[in-house]
Amino acid sequence: MNIPNSSTAPAAGEYAGDEVSAIVLDPGYSTTRAGFAGEDVPKSVCPSFYGQSDNDSYLFGENAIHSPVGNLNIKNYWGADGIVEDWDAATKLWEYSITSRLTGAKAGDPTKNGLNDPPANGESMDVEMEGVENNEKPMEDSPLLMTEPGWNSAKAREKYIEMAMEDWGVPAFFLQKTGVLAAFASGKASGIIIDVGASHTSVTPVLDGMVLRKGVQKSPLAGNFVSQQIRQTFKTATPEIPLTPHYLVKSKTQVDAGAPANAIYKTFPVEPSASFRANEEERVLTEFKESVVEVWPGPGRFNNGTNEEIAKNAPGRPFEMPDGWNNIFGSERFRVAEGLFDASAALTSEANARPKDEWTIPRLVQAAVSHVDADQRPLLLANIVVTGGSTLLHKFNDRLNFEINAIYPSTRNKLIAPGSVVERKYAAWIGGSILASLGSFHQLWISKKEYEEHGASIVEKRCR
Amino acid sequence: MPPFKDDQIIVIAPGSETTLAQLGLPESFTPARVRIRSRMFPAEKEGEFEPYKIRRKQDKPAEKSVEQNGEAQGETKPATDGDDEIIWEEDRVSEEGAVWPIQDGKITDWPCFFALISHVYNALNPPFHTAILLITQPSWTPREHEKLAQFFFEKFKTPAFGLMDAALATTWAYGVHTATIVDVGKGKTDVTAVSEFIPHLQGRIVSLPDSGGEAFTEALHDKLKSKGFNRDMCEQLKKSPICEILPDGTPLPGSGKAEEDPVTNPAAAASTGATGSGPAAAAAIGNTPRGPGPDTEVGEEDGPENEGVLDVASIVAGGKMNEYLAKKEKEKQDKSNAKKKGAPVPEANRPVRLPNSKREKATFLYEDHALLDALKNTNLDTQGMADAKAALDEGPSKRAQEGENGDGAEANGSGEATSAASKGAIRREMEVGTERFLAGSNGTMEKIADAIHRVISAVDEVNKRSELWDSLIICGNGSRLRGFKEALLQTLNSKYLISPSSATIFTSEIPSNLSTPAGTGANTPQPQLGPHGGSGVNPLLFAATTAQSQGMMPHGGNPLMPSMSHNAHSSHGQTPTSIKTVKPPEYFPEWKDVGFDESAFLGAQVAAKVIFVVDQGQSKGYMTRPDYNDQGPQGIHDYSL
Repeated sequence: MNIPNSSTAPAAGEYAGDEVSAIVLDPGYSTTRAGFAGEDVPKSVCPSFYGQSDNDSYLFGENAIHSPVGNLNIKNYWGADGIVEDWDAATKLWEYSITSRLTGAKAGDPTKNGLNDPPANGESMDVEMEGVENNEKPMEDSPLLMTEPGWNSAKAREKYIEMAMEDWGVPAFFLQKTGVLAAFASGKASGIIIDVGASHTSVTPVLDGMVLRKGVQKSPLAGNFVSQQIRQTFKTATPEIPLTPHYLVKSKTQVDAGAPANAIYKTFPVEPSASFRANEEERVLTEFKESVVEVWPGPGRFNNGTNEEIAKNAPGRPFEMPDGWNNIFGSERFRVAEGLFDASAALTSEANARPKDEWTIPRLVQAAVSHVDADQRPLLLANIVVTGGSTLLHKFNDRLNFEINAIYPSTRNKLIAPGSVVERKYAAWIGGSILASLGSFHQLWISKKEYEEHGASIVEKRCR
Repeated sequence: MPPFKDDQIIVIAPGSETTLAQLGLPESFTPARVRIRSRMFPAEKEGEFEPYKIRRKQDKPAEKSVEQNGEAQGETKPATDGDDEIIWEEDRVSEEGAVWPIQDGKITDWPCFFALISHVYNALNPPFHTAILLITQPSWTPREHEKLAQFFFEKFKTPAFGLMDAALATTWAYGVHTATIVDVGKGKTDVTAVSEFIPHLQGRIVSLPDSGGEAFTEALHDKLKSKGFNRDMCEQLKKSPICEILPDGTPLPGSGKAEEDPVTNPAAAASTGATGSGPAAAAAIGNTPRGPGPDTEVGEEDGPENEGVLDVASIVAGGKMNEYLAKKEKEKQDKSNAKKKGAPVPEANRPVRLPNSKREKATFLYEDHALLDALKNTNLDTQGMADAKAALDEGPSKRAQEGENGDGAEANGSGEATSAASKGAIRREMEVGTERFLAGSNGTMEKIADAIHRVISAVDEVNKRSELWDSLIICGNGSRLRGFKEALLQTLNSKYLISPSSATIFTSEIPSNLSTPAGTGANTPQPQLGPHGGSGVNPLLFAATTAQSQGMMPHGGNPLMPSMSHNAHSSHGQTPTSIKTVKPPEYFPEWKDVGFDESAFLGAQVAAKVIFVVDQGQSKGYMTRPDYNDQGPQGIHDYSL
């Protein structure tokens, strides 16, 4: 069979020649997305959290990190600054996300998986299977496009390409910033990309497909911040609202609103670790965010005037915990997300100081725009792309729209927020999928040969 | 290319334990005609595989004749009813050394897998112009799909080839577009949310480890190890109708009942957790892939069995068979005498036969393959062999007694007895206590339940979730265990069901479905008929509040629509507010009889009919050979359903 070498540029006019089956990898704090270029959703979405047991072995994937076994610590490879911290784990987890759901192979013990058996070309197996040959590296036949946060360090970028070339043996590699790709996903070459993820919120000004690096802003007020605010709301409520994750409950019975839970709890021979519990609690909090939390839509901030009164009188939303405790949440449900926009409204405690004012989303946008030439600002403000899982909070866009119009009353500000949840959550991946499937993109790849010639520093020159 | 006809279509569904296949689509879709255990044996030459164990023939005439006899049987069977297992199941040793190329749904040994597929293909012996539809397991990756396409096109020169996801196939079988498929297999469970015929790949739980049928066997083994049960016995116990998962909270049959029925009644315990009951499910038992598991230990029965029977196999092997047979004969006589006398007594005590779940002990027939192997290794001529078998086999004699009792198990019972006899397996009666209810004791239920919750919670369209909870499909041969589906539903209900909050019942709030934005799904209207939705509330208040909010409903404020009026009270954005399973379709009589555990195969037949015959490739449901020549294996992704 004759498949052209996937890393060579296609001949002009060659049918489907630009389909190189490149893999696009978009790692995030909460999930790692991977899939084939040209598809509209990532085929593999696996949690970025991983389990590590006492004997240091890693456990990846949804099934592993949710099974309550003792001595399993749930960790994340991202550092607090939004740059990969644990490279060993990151490399393995990314590889897992690709091999487990995209390429297969290399799974299992090489002595047993049949891949290393001598070529079986007898009567029963007269088909030449190219893939069956001994694969040392997991991704030898797929070019790789990776995404990186806008503030990634030069060292980290070199690490990316090293990992891809050395560990995975990819034939070609390219690195692109999430901001640019999210803009591509919405069909924009210029714009301001507001990306509210799990660990970080970032605002990236993009002009003609290039990130204005000095304009990139980030802050830790994002999904995890909202979770922390919810936890604090639960803790400070009277009586305290117990947050019991599913795995601790054997069965629950219905109780009246606000009444203590009446559930049968499970016991474990070895109590799962605190980090496991925190991760499972996060599942409940996610459900809470989906069904209860709402961003105060404006006009005005939540603290302003009678807004809080209005919120109190509005019907609340009920929520039921895994242990059956349930109650109705009134104004609290607005309060927990208000910190994203108004630092003074954030709930604080000794452990969690008041967030800085310049971390809030309106201030980030302001700071980002101020780095752009004045004559380019209207263009950018007409293309404000909203992406990231945390922007799915109810009424988030209404509020953002209000805030931006308050800062820039004289320009035509337009929010571009894809209606489909998938597009919102995986915008950067989808942009990468579009980019990597373009025929002209072949000129951008860093090929293995170039890497071998110039070393890892080539990534600074080629991937701006 | 000429169009495909119904009889020019092959459907293959590989599984970890059994591979199903069929050539041609019958008028009314039937269960798979060819069932082949998914294993091959390494051949003389490395890298090649044989469908049967090539056993070195010893120069014992007796054995040889038996072997040949059986072999001839085995060879002719596939053509007639495709059940070529029979010969090889009787031969315990022949399972040894087998390579099972699919582990937990993943293909772990490609050469062996290809050999298996070739064997299946050759067994079907299709004409040249035959399209192939292959059911794919969720854990197969896109690259592996390419590999499969390449193999099928280049090895079989098939004119058309299509892939179909197992979960999707199940929804086709049930004729629903949105469902949550819980496929309980041999060593794993896959949970897939299918929404509008599109499997939701992102949050899919693929191959949840230790949660299939093996896990149940393991749990039984754990409990029964101390009583001298080996794994094989537990495996067979699991498949017998007396093994059952009781609903949570049901007390195990206590010691209070002293008398119990010594005779197993297959009919009473007919349904192996299948959807139907009665004769339909009873037939399902017969159709269950019978026989030993893959990695069962052989020849390690050193524990004493509870009837006081020692390790028969070792006795036979040790050459003390005659004494043993004499003893056995006597025992049997005593027993049958006792039974004949004793039978009326319990009948008098209990006019109604106790259901399995109330009985403290029950017995099942164990097909002792190890014993048969031991027999074969002794020097016996054919006659002696047959005598010994007859003496040791408790099956038929038991059945005769059953006949006397007249408990209506004839049809099924005789079928089993004869089939067992023809296989030559030696059957022994074994008794187990309440351990047989503990198959789900190692947390398997909760594991699967949690996986279902995670899958549905990962579906991005929040408003789809309640529909997904309302349409569970529990399938796969692992779910045949009696009571499993009910127990799983109960676990789900007790852990995850959201009750209507008492805080909102009396507030006249805006109906939640007014303010539901598509993207955030912060608030989803749930059609809900929870236990408290209608009954727990004062009907007058209920009517008053719903009437009040009706004017505000954008559509369908119709009091005749009960689901809508319930809706007015539910402002929960959380799911599930109700959990239901999908009713299996009624219009497949052949499938109704055996249960819908292999419904993926049925769905594949439906799909094959649609994509190959009705649609003729209009919607790119399959890849043709010219397409393949143009695009290569990677093109398969454009054609997969």
